[in-house]
Amino acid sequence: MLVMRRRQGEAILIGDGVEIRILSIDGTRVKMGILAPRSVPVTAREIELVRKENLQAAETPNDASETMARLLKALPNGATPKTGEKIPEVADLGEKKDQIL
Amino acid sequence: MAKCRTKSHGEIEYSEDVVMRFSEGLFGFESETGFLPIEVPALHPLLFLQSVQREGLCFTTLPILVIDPDYRLNLSSADLELAGLSTDRQPVIGEDVLCLAILTLHKDGPTTANLIAPLVINLRTREAVQALILDSEYSHQHVFPATEPEAICS
Repeated sequence: MLVMRRRQGEAILIGDGVEIRILSIDGTRVKMGILAPRSVPVTAREIELVRKENLQAAETPNDASETMARLLKALPNGATPKTGEKIPEVADLGEKKDQIL
Repeated sequence: MAKCRTKSHGEIEYSEDVVMRFSEGLFGFESETGFLPIEVPALHPLLFLQSVQREGLCFTTLPILVIDPDYRLNLSSADLELAGLSTDRQPVIGEDVLCLAILTLHKDGPTTANLIAPLVINLRTREAVQALILDSEYSHQHVFPATEPEAICS
């Protein structure tokens, strides 16, 4: 990894069209200004991590009941949470309610 | 009553006021704005979130306090506004909002929960947002302890 020291107001250039400027520094937080062509996507790293995680989560089967049951047993509070958190209304599964997935 | 075909629960009927409205969708699923919560008593407290628009899309979630009873929400004002919440204070989980973590079952690996991007649902209006909790010690792949069968038996 290339490491550069910059002060407030200074900038770095990446390639032809990208400029990153240090706008302000406040304790551990740094505010940066980024100039880039529209064709270059700029996102916080966390957003990309979460996007990928969502895509993978969408592939998680919902019918893996054995795995799920095992998972629930392993929860710190057991299967009954003490959070008191109520789900107000859910979709009615009707007669499917008692079927294991 | 509207009808919806689901990924794993066949066709179900629901009333519109049950639908959670994510006006900006979820990261990677920006056009999926309506999700239906489905509870299966045998798998309580898991909650399945079925996309109203896409049959094949259903997330498996857990209330975040089940995973971490000390979880602290620190929502940005943008996320608070998207969920129709007051920007004056942080919402209380269980009173103001339902807060869910999306689970990922890794093939041949552990099950993980995404704690940096919880789903926050306004309990009064059902407006919802996938928040992004930056500057925190939480992980997008929080590993559940002792999910392996050996660990439970021993």
